[in-house]
Amino acid sequence: MTAAPGMRDLAYRLLVYEAGAGKASEPSEPPAIRVYERLRQSLGEFVGVAGFQSLASRALTLSRAEVPSLSAARVAADGSLEGLGASETQFDMGMDSATDGEIILIARLLGLLRLFLGEALTLSLLRNAWPGEVVEDSNSAHGRNA
Amino acid sequence: MSTQDKVKINKLPTGVPGLDEIVGGGLPEFSFNIIAGAPGSGKTTLAHQFVFANATPERPALYFTVLGESAIKMLRYQQQYTFFDPSMLPGSIRFINLSQVVLEKDLGAVLEQITKEVEKANPAVVVVDSFRTMVRKPESDMDLQSFIQRLALFLASWQATTFLIGEYAEEELRDNPIFTVADGLFWLRQTAERNSIVRKLQIIKLRGQDSVPGLHTFRITDAGVQAFSRTFGLSGHAKNPPTHRRLSFGVAELDKMLGGGVREGDSVLIAGSSGTGKSVLATQFIAEGIRHGEPGIVAVFEERPQAYAERATSLGLDLETPQKDGKLTILYLRPLDLSVDETMHSILDAVQKIGAKRLVIDSLAGFEMALSPGFRADFRESLYRMIFALTGIGVTILSTVEVDESFTEFPFSTYSISFLTDDIIRLRYVSIDGQLRKIMVVIKMRGGNHAKDIREYEITSKGVVILGKRLANYEGLISGIPVRSDRPESPEEPSRDTGMEHKD
Repeated sequence: MTAAPGMRDLAYRLLVYEAGAGKASEPSEPPAIRVYERLRQSLGEFVGVAGFQSLASRALTLSRAEVPSLSAARVAADGSLEGLGASETQFDMGMDSATDGEIILIARLLGLLRLFLGEALTLSLLRNAWPGEVVEDSNSAHGRNA
Repeated sequence: MSTQDKVKINKLPTGVPGLDEIVGGGLPEFSFNIIAGAPGSGKTTLAHQFVFANATPERPALYFTVLGESAIKMLRYQQQYTFFDPSMLPGSIRFINLSQVVLEKDLGAVLEQITKEVEKANPAVVVVDSFRTMVRKPESDMDLQSFIQRLALFLASWQATTFLIGEYAEEELRDNPIFTVADGLFWLRQTAERNSIVRKLQIIKLRGQDSVPGLHTFRITDAGVQAFSRTFGLSGHAKNPPTHRRLSFGVAELDKMLGGGVREGDSVLIAGSSGTGKSVLATQFIAEGIRHGEPGIVAVFEERPQAYAERATSLGLDLETPQKDGKLTILYLRPLDLSVDETMHSILDAVQKIGAKRLVIDSLAGFEMALSPGFRADFRESLYRMIFALTGIGVTILSTVEVDESFTEFPFSTYSISFLTDDIIRLRYVSIDGQLRKIMVVIKMRGGNHAKDIREYEITSKGVVILGKRLANYEGLISGIPVRSDRPESPEEPSRDTGMEHKD
């Protein structure tokens, strides 16, 4: 079973947005880490460190089944992500460093949120962390079709 | 100090249908409240309803979760309720997990974390779920008392209305300092009675508010918690002054026997055995009301509304049109596991919805049987409260009750509910001249004259028809086996008593 296309699109938009935001602020982290950290901060507040760590671990396990190269990555006890993007082919879609594995990992994490909380609440929580148009509009300026 | 100088305590909507009435109009603003009860009793759902009813982006709600149910699962389940609006998260409602600080640090650190979040968000509502797990660590009584005291002081000073949720046992009421500090204490109970679950809510204390005492039934549906006040939500309604208006039964001779009809706002009981025409009389009563522009409710338990309306049609009474016109509601109540209060709320809602002036309960036996066994013990008491509440606002109630025919007694009801009624009409079979005929007598009319006559009647295609004069040439009619007397039939008008009440 692969990550749902809708979640992949959403993950991609978030990564593209963070890639753009990362360029504007130096020194920058990889977009995947920026997205992940935003999610950790936003979700960790209400699910707790342990709650987020559990979700992220599950997302990583599911992602590894699709992208074996993610085997190097691990979720630490505090929920942070380590060893991501070490050996993957980079996407050339306007992002400097986002990989397929990173997109899948973020998509899986978002997919779990949608599974547990439903689409409305998931989007509502994401809108608190990112601009609404990035979360909802697949044709936004940061989107794939831009 | 005049009344005007006194502080006015704002009342916040609880978001729980029926609960505002129970707490005396709403929850006092800035109050510090405990919701206690066993797991599964509805504590979290009640708190969520309050949060969703009061949180705004300007004055949000902070919902602190601790150990126990994970926030993800809680939100997953809670969003199934209709009151849950996902768009309010996280702008108006923020869930904050305190597990880490509770697990790793002491109560001082927990208070510090709560303080930090409250100062940052300026919330109108703060919930800690579950507070019990927060203070589970062995602390000295003084530590715990100090923590609760400081938390309560801080949250009140920051103008937050607070709910602490906990799984407490009733034995803890006396010794746990949290119950002393709390302004409001809501206790939710859930017990199994035979095959039914009975949920009850009690406001053990609520400072500054005139809450309704006692145990109130509540139910959890897809709309969340719904509470049913013991006063049926009518405690604030102005009582209608008694009128001297007489309401027609639609049976002219019976109206005469009643001294001109039923007094408006009376509770009337029609008692008789099966087939004596109790439901027919009740139908005529409701149809006559509609003819006079008085909307009516018929609560039926033993047949479906369609069948009830069709039977009325066979008597030449149209109950279909008034139903379409919103002048009549036929309620079919077979709740099985509903509480008596809930069932009565359905009746009251219907009464209030169409502004009913007449209510028929057909029958009390069916009503009681429709309740789950666990609730039957409350039946008479709840019936009393409902009749008292409804007649108080001017609704005239007619109840039917089936009684066993006895040839040694003349019972009015097997329910010992005669005290609930102002007027009693008794129907019964008698054996006369080799025929099983029917007689009717007005047993009592509280505060009014009525005929003492025993009258024979028939059920025809026009309903109940009272025949001729009183049956003067028989003795022992009420025994059911009368004997013919030599006295000739009385030519005079039906006699009336002197107003003295008959006691059953």
